[in-house]
Amino acid sequence: MSDGQIVVSGLTKHYKNVRAVDNLSFTVEPGRVTGFLGPNGAGKTTTLRMLLNLVKPTAGTATIGGQRYADLKDPLRTVGAVLEASSAHKGRTGINHLRVICGAAGFPRQRADEVMATVGLTPAAKRKFKGYSLGMRQRLGIAAALLGDPQVLVLDEPANGLDPEGIRWMRDLLKALAAQGRTVLVSSHLLSEMQLLADDLVIIAAGKLVRQGTVTQVMDSMAHSAQVRVRTPQVEELTSALTALKATVTPNGEGALMVAGIDAPGVGRAALKAGVELHELTLERPDLERVFLELTAGKAAIR
Amino acid sequence: MNLVRSEFLKIRTTNAWWLFGLGAFAMLALTFLVNALGAYYALSEPTPEGLNPDDAATFEATRDVVYQAANLYTSGQFFGLLFVLLLGIVVITSEFQHQTVTTTFLSTPHRTAVILAKLVAAALAGAGYWLVTTALNIPATIIFLSTQDVSNQLGEWPVLRSILLNLLAYVLWGVLGVGFGVLIRSQIGATVTAVALYLLGTAAGAIFFTLFANWLDADWISDLQYGLPSIASGLMVSGTNIPGQPVFWVGAVVLVGWSVLTGTIGTLITRTRDIS
Ligand SMILES: Nc1ncnc2c1ncn2[C@@H]1O[C@H](COP(=O)(O)OP(=O)(O)O)[C@@H](O)[C@H]1O
Ligand SMILES: [Mg+2]
Repeated sequence: MSDGQIVVSGLTKHYKNVRAVDNLSFTVEPGRVTGFLGPNGAGKTTTLRMLLNLVKPTAGTATIGGQRYADLKDPLRTVGAVLEASSAHKGRTGINHLRVICGAAGFPRQRADEVMATVGLTPAAKRKFKGYSLGMRQRLGIAAALLGDPQVLVLDEPANGLDPEGIRWMRDLLKALAAQGRTVLVSSHLLSEMQLLADDLVIIAAGKLVRQGTVTQVMDSMAHSAQVRVRTPQVEELTSALTALKATVTPNGEGALMVAGIDAPGVGRAALKAGVELHELTLERPDLERVFLELTAGKAAIR
Repeated sequence: MNLVRSEFLKIRTTNAWWLFGLGAFAMLALTFLVNALGAYYALSEPTPEGLNPDDAATFEATRDVVYQAANLYTSGQFFGLLFVLLLGIVVITSEFQHQTVTTTFLSTPHRTAVILAKLVAAALAGAGYWLVTTALNIPATIIFLSTQDVSNQLGEWPVLRSILLNLLAYVLWGVLGVGFGVLIRSQIGATVTAVALYLLGTAAGAIFFTLFANWLDADWISDLQYGLPSIASGLMVSGTNIPGQPVFWVGAVVLVGWSVLTGTIGTLITRTRDIS
């Protein structure tokens, strides 16, 4: 398999009144799940559609394994995509939908039956698409993406409309695909889901890159917002000892103190020195949700 | 080739083709009856007295067995072409209606190839309609002519020519449909506009150009109506030259012109359009 790295460079799309994507650059590595994160209207869909030659960029390039999508010799054998607002003919059966794609891409017909089994849709294969539930539609979309056994997978908000069981199934599938060395790029505005799924994050807001890195790196880049939670019967003594060290102390309203600007060992040492008794000492990592909100705050979601 | 086969599979795996086929069949039965009735009177009645010479000449021409045979063998053309047009429209607009165009262009980023495949598939579907229509018309016409003690006329070149040019018409209307569907992407919008233009536009065009020609006393203006694709198709399959009408191949040229025009514009538009 070729390497399948995705490189987005200076990508820009102007619609009439909106800069949907604004000079965006990032890379996506094979063998990992990359979460493409941003609030609604951030430009995720537009970016992915430019990557796949469906929308023409105003400026910039996007390549997959060094080639533009339009130049790929066998696109479906290289990239499998599940996009929002892509669908099947309501009156066509699921299996026929896949056979049409097989026909266009020159795959053997039985590939359709194979991927149908992979996504667990075989019992519904001969039913018409209009009778499919949202979860079944999403599975059919993934089946279509897997037809060419591609090195790269691109999914736009695949968790939308899935029940918890479906989300879990999707998460396991995507992780397994990445473990096989494939490139997996998943967009989402659901942060909690990304925390469980992604190895790397690319965060955008208002069409611009906000952060790129591993999940831990992105969290650490926000480490200044990490806080230490302490519980003590001697609130006043501890507060003055910590403020002397230029830390900020705020009661959290549940009988504990939230301390910022100092790490957990620092708090312990200060308490020992001041002879203050501690009942709890916990480092509170900010969750992705909060990091994300802080990163994208102030950039209007609706533009 | 893969692409054409895939496009054909798309047509085959949905309902439109046989629904339209059923419609075409019903209209075929109806028009054949009307044509047979017309032929019966034209072949048996003498030319009425007291017509002005122009009308009398026209009437004489329609009394020709070859003219009537060609007309019968190509029965159902007017509505058959409408259904082929609609099928061509559906071939392209259903991709937008059902949002399958994303999948289609992901499989084949070369959009020109996709549109070409659609043009070919729609043209082949048109040929299929012609095949069924003609397979029904031939025995029916032979039977009718034999009841009139007239031979089947299939040895006459103008009759054969009409049948073959009728095939060309069916093929080209499939192409026209795809071109039209690209211009109006909404399935319902394109279908309604096409039906309205085809039925009302044909009549209005014919009346407008004829009245205008009479008013200005210039016959060439009346001939402009043959620039309309539907009227051109009818002209193309007429077995004999009717006085006051252009010759049959003018119809063919006009129709090819429209097909190339809509096909080309449609392809150019689709190549650069954002799919979102
Ligand atoms: N075809 C279009 N025409 C005009 N504006 C568009 C179009 N597509 C997207 N936009 C605008 O571009 C911005 C980014 O949209 P999108 O890429 O769909 O964001 P996301 O997928 O992150 O929610 C939004 O403000 C949206 O309104
Ligand atoms: Mg989106």
